[in-house]
Amino acid sequence: MVADRIQPAKDLSDVVISTRIRFARNLNDYEFPCRLSVEKKCRVAAIVKAAALGNQNKYSGRFRYISMSELTQEEAVSLVERHLVSPEFISDRQGRGLLLIDNESVSIMINEEDHVRIQVIRPNLDLEGAFDLANIFDDILDEQLNFAFSDKLGYLTQCPTNIGTGMRASLLLHLPALKESGAMGKISASLSKLGFTIRGMYGEGNDPKGSVYQLSNQVTLGISEAEAIDNLRDITMQLIAQERSAREAMAENITILDGLYRSFGILRYAKILTNDECWKLLSDLRFGVEIGIFENIDYDTINRLMIEVQPATLMKNIGKKLPALERERIRAELIRTAIARPKVPASRRLE
Amino acid sequence: MICQSCEKRQATTHIKTIVNGELKEFMLCPECAGRLGYGSLFTSFGPDLDRLFGGFMDSYTPQISGKRCPFCGSSFEDIAQSGKVGCSRCYEIFEEELMPSLQRIHGRTTHSGKLAKSAGKAVKLQSEIENYRKELENAIKTQEFEKAAQLRDKIRELQKKAEMEGEE
Repeated sequence: MVADRIQPAKDLSDVVISTRIRFARNLNDYEFPCRLSVEKKCRVAAIVKAAALGNQNKYSGRFRYISMSELTQEEAVSLVERHLVSPEFISDRQGRGLLLIDNESVSIMINEEDHVRIQVIRPNLDLEGAFDLANIFDDILDEQLNFAFSDKLGYLTQCPTNIGTGMRASLLLHLPALKESGAMGKISASLSKLGFTIRGMYGEGNDPKGSVYQLSNQVTLGISEAEAIDNLRDITMQLIAQERSAREAMAENITILDGLYRSFGILRYAKILTNDECWKLLSDLRFGVEIGIFENIDYDTINRLMIEVQPATLMKNIGKKLPALERERIRAELIRTAIARPKVPASRRLE
Repeated sequence: MICQSCEKRQATTHIKTIVNGELKEFMLCPECAGRLGYGSLFTSFGPDLDRLFGGFMDSYTPQISGKRCPFCGSSFEDIAQSGKVGCSRCYEIFEEELMPSLQRIHGRTTHSGKLAKSAGKAVKLQSEIENYRKELENAIKTQEFEKAAQLRDKIRELQKKAEMEGEE
């Protein structure tokens, strides 16, 4: 039976890759970043940095401050690939700073679209955990900084789409079966009516190569953080159920299975892999694990690979700039090594 | 500028994204931005704000166009064109002009949720009362009547305090 083969759903990690909570905050006494000179941006960065590091809190020693203009282009791009900052944030790095906690689960962008963007990323589905952590850092900064806040409109933000709680909660979901079934367009339209946004990550939004989607709340004014999180969780549970039933329907489809096995073959034996084809292949690998046809590979490994094989992160980990072909060779090697079947113990080996 | 995707329509959306390890910037028209999946609030605020502010700009009357924010110097045209508010004061100065857009984006116009330290006393008190009310509901549901009575007294006390502060 198909159902027996599917990995037991102890948690929701067959669908949910990670959880992210982001708070947008601004200082009351400075123009928003769009009208802020580089000189004033530097002042804002210094103030926020001091509030996070100087203040004696149990996290102050765990943060490191990065002045964005001092990074190489690869280091900056790698931050985007690891989801720690937005592409916008590295497009013009002057006057921008980043506070990063040791294990990279918390990042605070300074002078992105708002003066302060607190972001927490947690593996799997953990909206409460991520929210609680973001809340701690928000409290620490609120204690020191005079945040722009209106009793009527809540936290004031540069873009009116973030006003109110300033909170964006989002989940990274792997939805290969729903994508394959062609249902994503309809799902996306109905989610947007309910106040949620879903968009493809990696590649063009409507045809994301890795079948990885980001689902987030759209409304921030007039709805409390707790309500927004509850709603997001409810809608996610529905999406998970839909994805799982679509998977079950596909798990015996020979054309689909053939495609997944072919992808697996390429990942197992290819000597060079481009970044582009990698998305599709790793997604197929994950899909295969999700429907139980590939064993000995866990979701953590695949989630990690999805980030580590990206060009800038790959070069950052190697420690030097590499030509494309060399990157493609290392990428193929990283994947081959990670998904190699466990060696048969010597005692059981045939002589 | 002409859209880099269809090479026909006027580009209005500036997209910044990472392609193969490099930061790429594109100028797209609203249609192509939507088609390529950049129409959502996440990558770019451009197309949505065009839509959000677009309808509003039609009914925009030039009498108030001389008004500027004394703190950051923004006019409402600046805000409507860029989709970006200049500073926290702008929300007061241009409240009337911004309200229809906020209503359209969020469906609501009054904040609910966490309060900053800088929030006013009155809203802090209201929020405290609201929290006790929720606790009270739970206490009644779980039939903890003694706790419920205590919470009811606490709420009454805070309400009285709120009334008195309101009169001051």
